[in-house]
Amino acid sequence: MDEILLDVRGLTHRFRLNRRAVVRAVDGVSFQIRRGEVFGLVGESGSGKSTVARCVMNVYRPTSGQILYKGVNVCDPRQFRANRAMLQTTRQIIFQDSTSSLNQRMSVADIIAEPMAIHHIRPKRGTLRDEARFQLKYVGMDASYLDKYPSELSGGMRQRVAIARALSMEPELLVADEPIASLDVSIQAQIINLFRHLQEEHGFTFLFIAHDLSVVRYLCDRVGVMVAGKLVEVAPTAELFDNPLHPYTKALLSAIPIPDPRRERARTPYAFDPARFERDGELVEAAPGHLVLRKGGGAE
Amino acid sequence: MESKFVRVGIRPVPAPRLRRARWYEGKPIASMFILGAILLGCLLCGLFLPKDPAYMDLFNVCVPPSGEFWFGTDTMGRDIFSMIWHGGRVSLCIGFLATLISTVIAVTFGALSGMAPRWLDDLLMRAAEIWLSIPGLLLAALIQAILGRASVVSISVVIGVTGWASIAKVVRAEVRRLRGSEYVVAARCMGAGFFRVLWKHLAPNFFSSIMFMVVMNVRGAIVSESTLSFMGLGLPLEIVSWGSMLSLSEKALSSGAWWIILIPGAFLVATLLCVTSIGNYLRTGGSREESNL
Amino acid sequence: MIRRNPWLYYGRKALAFLLSVLVLSAAAFYIARLAPGDPLVSYYGDRVERMRPDERARAEEKLGLNAPIHVQYVRWLRGALQGDFGISYKYKTDVLEVIGGRVGNTLILGGVGFVLIFGLSLGLGLFCAWNEGRWADRIVCRLGTVTSCIPEFWLSLVLILIFAVNLRWLPSGGAYSVGGTGGVGDRALHLILPMTVTVLGHLWYYAYMIRNKLLEEARAEYVLLAKAKGLSRRRVLFKHCLRNVMPAYLSIMAISVPHILGGTYIVETVFSYPGIGTLSYESARYQDYNLLMVLCILSGVVVILFNMIAQIINERIDPRMRDAEIVETTEVTGVGE
Repeated sequence: MDEILLDVRGLTHRFRLNRRAVVRAVDGVSFQIRRGEVFGLVGESGSGKSTVARCVMNVYRPTSGQILYKGVNVCDPRQFRANRAMLQTTRQIIFQDSTSSLNQRMSVADIIAEPMAIHHIRPKRGTLRDEARFQLKYVGMDASYLDKYPSELSGGMRQRVAIARALSMEPELLVADEPIASLDVSIQAQIINLFRHLQEEHGFTFLFIAHDLSVVRYLCDRVGVMVAGKLVEVAPTAELFDNPLHPYTKALLSAIPIPDPRRERARTPYAFDPARFERDGELVEAAPGHLVLRKGGGAE
Repeated sequence: MESKFVRVGIRPVPAPRLRRARWYEGKPIASMFILGAILLGCLLCGLFLPKDPAYMDLFNVCVPPSGEFWFGTDTMGRDIFSMIWHGGRVSLCIGFLATLISTVIAVTFGALSGMAPRWLDDLLMRAAEIWLSIPGLLLAALIQAILGRASVVSISVVIGVTGWASIAKVVRAEVRRLRGSEYVVAARCMGAGFFRVLWKHLAPNFFSSIMFMVVMNVRGAIVSESTLSFMGLGLPLEIVSWGSMLSLSEKALSSGAWWIILIPGAFLVATLLCVTSIGNYLRTGGSREESNL
Repeated sequence: MIRRNPWLYYGRKALAFLLSVLVLSAAAFYIARLAPGDPLVSYYGDRVERMRPDERARAEEKLGLNAPIHVQYVRWLRGALQGDFGISYKYKTDVLEVIGGRVGNTLILGGVGFVLIFGLSLGLGLFCAWNEGRWADRIVCRLGTVTSCIPEFWLSLVLILIFAVNLRWLPSGGAYSVGGTGGVGDRALHLILPMTVTVLGHLWYYAYMIRNKLLEEARAEYVLLAKAKGLSRRRVLFKHCLRNVMPAYLSIMAISVPHILGGTYIVETVFSYPGIGTLSYESARYQDYNLLMVLCILSGVVVILFNMIAQIINERIDPRMRDAEIVETTEVTGVGE
C-alpha cells in the first residue's frame, strides 16, 4: 500500500510558439502517487494540469525532468522502449472531450476492445465482443449499445464508453483528465461513484485532474494545487481543505460559494495577489505530508 | 469527511427502441440498376450481338435507325448498336483503369505529404500545384506523343497521370487534419503502431471524402477519354469507343444525321449520371441531421 | 495574437511565386523538347519531308535547335527576361503578338462566363437552400446533376445541331461574322452558344457546392437560436448563413479562375472560336515551342497567382486555415473537362 507507483521529479515542459515566444506550461513539478490512492490535481484553466497528464502518459516528451513509473523512467526513450508493453497496458488515460477521443467510425464494441486487440491479449470472457459487453455492463450501459456509433450516444454515455475502454485493460494507473467537466451533475455523480467503487473494490490508482473542488474533496485522498505551471501545495484532502497554507490555495478555497446568501454575504473571500507569487520557491514540508511552495523555507 | 447525501450508485441506461430502416431506403437504386445493366451489356456483348462493330458496310452509310440497324449506322457504315456496347466496354475500362492509377498515385502522395514534416509537405504540395497548373490537354498531348501509338492502357496512363493532383490535395489535407485528433492520440497512448493508426483510424475517416472524389474521377476519366478522342489524341479509329464514335460525329453535323451524335452521347450521359448519383450518395451517406432553418 | 510583418509575409509569397514560375518554365521547356515530334514541321509545313540533310541542318541552326537543351534554355531565359519571347513557328510573327490578338476573345468568353457562372450559382444555391426538400429543390437538383454530366463538346455539338443547323437561329462558329463589322451585337450573337456551353458545364458544380455549404450552415446551432429569437427565415438565410459562407465562396472563386479560363479550349475548338485555347492545343500538338512556352507560363502564372490569392483570402479570414489547405474546391476533372 505504501509502494510509490508514480514519481514525478522536476517535470518541465515548454511549448514553443514561434521563434521568440515560449510558453512554460509546466515548471518544475514534483509529486508522488502511491498505489491505491486517488491523487487530485486542481488549478484554474491554463495552469498546466492537462500538460502534466499528457507528459505522464508520454503524449509529450517533457523538456526536462523525470517521471518514474514503477521505477522505469518513461522520459528516457531507451527505457521506454524496453518496457513498452508494460507501460502501455498498465496505464490508461481518459480524456476530457469524449466526442473527439472516440473514433466516430468505430462501433462501441470495437472501441472498447481496441486496447486488447492492439496488444493481442486474450480476453477473459471469451471473445472480444463478450469482453466489451462485460465492460459496458460494468459502467452501467446495456449490451444493445455495442453496435452503436459515438455520434448516436449522449455525452454521458460516450464518457462511459471511454471509461470502459480504459478499464478493459485493468490498468494499475488511470489518468483522468477532467473526465466529468462536460457532463451534467447527475451523471457526474454516477461517474464519480464509479471511480470510488473502482478504487475501493479493485485498488486502482488515479491521477484525477479537475477544477471542481467539491468533486475533488469527495473523491481524492491527496490533492495538489497548480498555478501557472507550478505546483504550489500538496496535502491530504482533509488537511488541505481545513488548513491551506499557500496564499493561492487560501484564495481558491475561500472562493467556493456557500449556497446560503446570508452566510455568503457575511464573509469576505481571501484575495490572491499574483504580484507576490513566488516563482522560485521550493516545496517545503510545513506539516507531515503537507508540502508548500516557499522561498527558501521562510515565512510567506 | 462525512457526506449528508445518499450514495446514488450506478444507474443503468435503459435500452433504446430501434426502427429498422429498409435496406433500399436512401440508396440510389435506379442508378445502380441502370449502370449495372449497361455494364452487363458491355461485358456480355460478345455473346449475344451478331453484328461485328468494326465491319464497315459501305452500302449502308448513314442509315437512320431502322429494323435492321437498331441505332442506325455511322458515316463509315458501321452498326451503331453494336458499336455502343463494344465501345462501352473500352470506355468504361479506360475510365476505371485511369481512376485506379490516379487514386493510387494520389493516396500515396497525399498520405506521404500529410505525415511528412512541414518543409517536405510544402515542397510536395508545390510540386502538385505546378503539376496541376499545366493544362491537362497539353500534358496529355505530350505524354501521348512520348508513349507513341495510343492504346487502351496508354490512354489510361495519360488520364491517370494528369488527374491525380486534386485527390492528393484532399488526402493530404485530411491526413493533416486527422493527425492531431484525440482518438489518434489515445490510440498511440494505448500502443497502436503507425500502420494500425493509419489503417484503423485515419483511413476510415478520410475514406468517405476521397471516395466521392474517386467516383467523380471515374466520371472525369470517361469524359476525358471521349474528349481526347474528339481532339484527335485518343484511340485510333479502329478501336471502337464512345469517344471515337463521338469524334466522328462532327462530320455528321452537316448531314443532319442526328442519331450518330445523339445516341452515343445519350449513353455517355446516362452512364455518367448513374456514376454521379452513386458518388453523391457516397458523399452524403452519413449525415442524418435535420435542418434548423 | 502574434503579429506578422506584412512585408515579410508578402515578400515571401512573391518569392515563392517567382520560384514556382521559374521551375515551371524549366519543366515545360524540357518536356516540350523531349517529346518526339518535329518542330520544323510547324515552321516549314510539309516541305520538311523533302528536305535534304544539309538543308535540315541549316534550318535547325536558323531556329537555334541544334544546341544542347540547357543552352537553349539559358538563351530563351535571357531573351524572356528582356521581353523577347521568340517567334511562333507557325505564324512566323512575334509570339506576344499572336497571343495578344486572341487573348481578348478568350477573356471575353471566360470572363463573362465566370461572372455568369458565379452569379447564377449563387442564386441557384440560395434558391435550393431556401426550398430545401421541397419539389422545387429536388427538380433543380436533378436538372443540375444531368447538366453536369453532359460533356462539354457533346453539348456544343447538340446545340449546334439544333440551333445552327436545324433552326438556323444562331451562327455555328467564329467570334464574329466573316466580313462583318465585329460590332457588339454581332459578337454577342456569336457568343451565345459558346457561353451557354461554358456556363452550363460549370454551373451546377458551384451551385451544388454553395447549396451544400448553406445547408450545412443551416444546421448550426445559432440558426436555431435566431429562429427562436423570432428572425424571419429570409433574414437568417441571407444575413447570417450567407455571410458566413461568403468567405469560403470567395476563395473558391479565386481558385476556379484559372480553371474556367483554361477550360475554354474545348468550346473554342468546337465553335472555331479564335481564342487562346485552340492556340495552346495547336502549339502542343505541333511543337510550336516558343508559343507553347509562353502559353504554359501564362497558364501557370494564372494558376499559381490565384491559388495564392485564395490562400491569402483564407488566411485573413480564418486564422485556423493558416495550416490547412482549401480542400473541397479543386474540381475533380480529367483532361477533357
